[in-house]
Amino acid sequence: MTLLILAAVALAAGLATILLAGERRTIALAIGLAGSLVVLALALAMPDTDSVSIGGVGMVSTPVVRAMAVAWSAGLAVLGLLELAVGGRPTVVGPSLIGLAVAGLALATRDPASSMAALAAGGVAGVVVPGLAGWLDGPDLPSRLPTTHRGALAILGSGLLGLAVIAWGASAAGPLGGGTFNVEPAGEIGLGLSLLVIVSAVAIRTGLIPLHVWAARFMEGVSPLAIPAAFAWGSAAFVLVALDWSQVALGPAAAGDAERLVIVFVAMVSVVLGGLAAMVHDDVEHVLGYSILQDAGIAVLAFASLNPDVVAAARNWLVASATVKTALAAWASVVRTTYGGHRLDDLGGWGRHSPVLGAAFAGILVAAIGLPGMALFDARVDLVSGAMPGFGQVVALVIAAMPAIYLGRIALAGLAPVSVAVAEGPTGRPRWTGGRAVGWSEGPVTQAIRAIPTELRANRAPLMALGVLALAVMALLTATGGAGG
Amino acid sequence: MNPTLVAVVLAIGAGAVVAVSTRDGAAAAIGLAVSLIASALLAEPLPPAGVLGVRVVAALLVATLIRSAMRTGPRQPSPLGWPSEAFLATAGAVAGLGIAVGLAAVAAAGGVPVGPGVGEPGAGGPIDGGSVALTSMAFTTAAGTSLFTLGLAAFIHGQPGARRAIGLVLVTQAVLLFRIGIAGPALELEEIARAALLVVAGATGAALARAAATSRPARVGDDEDSDTEAAPAGVGRREVVPR
Repeated sequence: MTLLILAAVALAAGLATILLAGERRTIALAIGLAGSLVVLALALAMPDTDSVSIGGVGMVSTPVVRAMAVAWSAGLAVLGLLELAVGGRPTVVGPSLIGLAVAGLALATRDPASSMAALAAGGVAGVVVPGLAGWLDGPDLPSRLPTTHRGALAILGSGLLGLAVIAWGASAAGPLGGGTFNVEPAGEIGLGLSLLVIVSAVAIRTGLIPLHVWAARFMEGVSPLAIPAAFAWGSAAFVLVALDWSQVALGPAAAGDAERLVIVFVAMVSVVLGGLAAMVHDDVEHVLGYSILQDAGIAVLAFASLNPDVVAAARNWLVASATVKTALAAWASVVRTTYGGHRLDDLGGWGRHSPVLGAAFAGILVAAIGLPGMALFDARVDLVSGAMPGFGQVVALVIAAMPAIYLGRIALAGLAPVSVAVAEGPTGRPRWTGGRAVGWSEGPVTQAIRAIPTELRANRAPLMALGVLALAVMALLTATGGAGG
Repeated sequence: MNPTLVAVVLAIGAGAVVAVSTRDGAAAAIGLAVSLIASALLAEPLPPAGVLGVRVVAALLVATLIRSAMRTGPRQPSPLGWPSEAFLATAGAVAGLGIAVGLAAVAAAGGVPVGPGVGEPGAGGPIDGGSVALTSMAFTTAAGTSLFTLGLAAFIHGQPGARRAIGLVLVTQAVLLFRIGIAGPALELEEIARAALLVVAGATGAALARAAATSRPARVGDDEDSDTEAAPAGVGRREVVPR
């Protein structure tokens, strides 16, 4: 029941934020922030196991649903505050709230067709709203409309493809059709093909290579704050629903040798090329985008075995990596807002200039790589080992080294001598201006209250850095504890 | 074979052909509304009133959204013309019937009914795969594949605008029909999710069409994009007042 209230609040607040964003920015942001906080409170109050029947379908909130709701809503509340500080038309909180609502419902629903339809419907806002109203370089850029168009098509198309294959599973020719489904030999081919189709839907939704072009353009065009809802969290929910359906409807028997080979190849192309692209790019948005793509590639490896242990690892991986990338997106947005640049050449000494931001990035770095014993690290090893028995552990270590390199480059830039662009930016250190409101000369308490807005404005940069630090701590906690998968 | 279902399928196809073919925005919106509402009624027996209401409201909302997007954008009639679109829709429907009959045969081989209307056992006997009745689920599949061919062509061919929006809606409705056609009726919760998906597809198409119309100057000489329409040979091009 708590989940239903959470979804209703998130949907209402998200829609109101989107509809009011154009004309009444402050009210829209206030509604979005209030909605985020209420949703966070509801997520924290949600019991680990709770069930209710709606419209003939059971809805069960599990620890994974709760973990995702808590991590996403907490991240969303901080992203909302950062959006307030960054300025511009709000395009982050509204779509994120809608995405959170449908993801929660989709993961709790026991009917995969309902889940897939809801995810397709709820995920589009995360691309269309920032694409049409939040393009950073102005609405006249030629890449804006085609990218938004392709993005919307990818979200809807992947959902429709998923819906079609789920329908096949429940049809007379499918394994859940109630008939005498014959596994050998035609049924085996059918199972394998449907597994590849659902993986294709996942590849389209997550923007795996070579279907990543629109995703790359989108990530470089919109605010980094909009990226987690569209990719990290939205994709995670989609993959989780697809995995659950594949496990129930197809089972491990669907992943034969040929299917396993194709899935591992598709996933590893994105893991390797995504990691390399993140290493060679100098702008932080590309690093963020390709690292999310690499994470999605690792998650897809779960389809290569459909083993229950591997699927449990995928749940941990998806929630933990989405939390880490939310923190990284917040860091990228704050750096861009504070220093005006987004290329490593322009960001020399950012860490020295803003120690809080540097500490937050250190936390993100540790969470992204993981340490043995941390849920994220173990999940990565389990996913890779499950898909590639024998040498999976070595490959997992190589994959873990990639974020160490591409995030390490950013960390090294932060320790370099302070560049001119960074030196000209607002300091990341907190300061007390001592200013008081003009014409106000009453008691000290009233003066202090009146001075709050002035001090907040003067300390905008360190406050934003504090927000990133909070997200980094959350990323560390989630990477350590996982999602109860 | 139920003649009412045949009429409903014909209405679905005719409405969709009008929607993707006509130059007139109002006629396209009406055709789309007819196609979507007829899709809501394609079931035997009819779903409960609540479910029917959700479907019809979603259909009307989508038609309204698409119509609102057409007011600002250029006209985008079908480059093929309505007869070709009608043939395309017919071909799609025949393919859908083939799929439905094939599925019914699979079910018959398994000795189980697969849903209302398809593969119904004859009087006192088991299901005969060779005499599968063309009933509700088969017609739903046929309507779905018919809309899919029409919608895909409209979506892929042409510039961003109302035609693509209509194509997106038709493809979405096609998959939703296909889902019922091969897997049976949806539960009530799924009906809500399906209606939401259809409305979101319409809203997305309309928003993108509106954005394309306001951000891109019209190019004279391009039938798909311009503010001028093609006219009969020798007559030249006539100015069209944007609506």
